[in-house]
This record gives sequence, C-alpha cells and structure tokens, in this order.
Amino acid sequence: MRYLMLIRHDEAAMANFTAGDWQKMAADYGAFTAAISKADIAYSPGQRLEPSPKARSVRLRDGKRAVLDGPYADTKEQLASFFTIDVPDLDAAIAWAARCPSARHGSVEIRPIWVQTETTK
Amino acid sequence: MKFMLLLHGDEKLLQADPGNNGISADFAAFNDAMVKAGAFVSGARLRPTSAATTVRVTGNRTEVLDGPYADTREQFGGFYIIEAADLEAATDWAARCPSAAYGTVEIRPLWQAPAA
Repeated sequence: MRYLMLIRHDEAAMANFTAGDWQKMAADYGAFTAAISKADIAYSPGQRLEPSPKARSVRLRDGKRAVLDGPYADTKEQLASFFTIDVPDLDAAIAWAARCPSARHGSVEIRPIWVQTETTK
Repeated sequence: MKFMLLLHGDEKLLQADPGNNGISADFAAFNDAMVKAGAFVSGARLRPTSAATTVRVTGNRTEVLDGPYADTREQFGGFYIIEAADLEAATDWAARCPSAAYGTVEIRPLWQAPAA
C-alpha cells in the first residue's frame, strides 16, 4: 500500500536553529534515507517545500478567482515536506514515520494513497 | 519551477458523489490539459482523513493519533506536483483545477536549493 507522509515543522521554532542543529538534522535524514534504501521498499525521496508564507490559496466561485496569500489553514506546525513509501500495512508506515527525524521536531501525518484505475462519468 | 498543489474539499460532499471511485470527467480533462502543456509531474488522490494517522516522537515515546494533523472545514484530499514558469502560472493551473470550484487549492513552491 502506498502512503503519503506529510512532515510538519514549527517554522518559528526552526528559525532559531543553529548551524549545528541543521547539521544534525541533515545527518539524521541521511541515516533515515539510508535505512529506507536498505529496506528495499518503494520510496520516493522527500520533497521539501518553501516556507508557508510563500503559499497561496486559490478558489473559483461563479467563475471568479479568489486568491489569498498564505496556506489553507494556520496551524502551529506547518507543512514542510513530504515523501511516499510503499509498505505492506499501516503499522509498517507508522514504524517508518516514527523513525523519521521530523517526528521528533514536529509531526508526521500518514495518508493512504487512493489507487484509481478507471475513468467514470 | 516546481509547485505542489494541495486540493482541499469537503469530504462529506465528495463521498456522496456516485463517481467517487473513479476519476471524474472534469479531473480527467484537467489531467489531460496539464500533460499536454508539459505541466504535469505527478499527483495522487488520498483516502479520506478518517484513514489518516499522525505520529510524533518525544524522547523514547512514540505518540500515534488517529486522524489528520488538523481538523479543517475542508480536508486535504489529493495533490499534484506541477512544473510552471512562476507563481502566476501555477495560480492559473490551480484555478483550472476542478477542486478550486468547490473547495480550495493551495499552492506551495518546492524548495529550490541555492545554486552551488
């Protein structure tokens, strides 16, 4: 089963990270990525996002565009990056989420990907 | 530049849709338009937030909570990664996405590593 893993960090707290903190994070992610590679599971590497102030939210109502600066929802932690993995079940996904370095800095939300094969309507 | 489009919509309304298990005609047309324009990179639909799990680790303790990170009026239900010249072009694609007409499409630029 494929899962989307959504990584959230507290951007305000991360702004106080020292160079050493970032180096540790990079090293922890290096080890995490190496562990996933060794486990030989289908994995698409993390894609990091620009910080949430660069987000924009778009709606279309009655043909009119409403564009707002900022993410959809203001939350204590902000979506920072994501990756996908293919593992047998949710327990395995939880185990990888817990090993993800970001689980210690923020949170990792696990969302099963919906496999769609047919076109309807 | 690459952008993530995050599709938010009211799950209760979407689950009442009889075409729910397939790709609807409007999404199929949107996908085709993006592929033709060379804008499509990847994308996926997600199972509803009732299937979400949120994990965090404090010290040696792993906390596992059922549900998404945040409860919102509309729920994050799918995403696209697109290639667009700039934020304005990404906004044009977001506005054409069927979700924009009944929900909200959030645009997030992917991180660009500083040139070495």
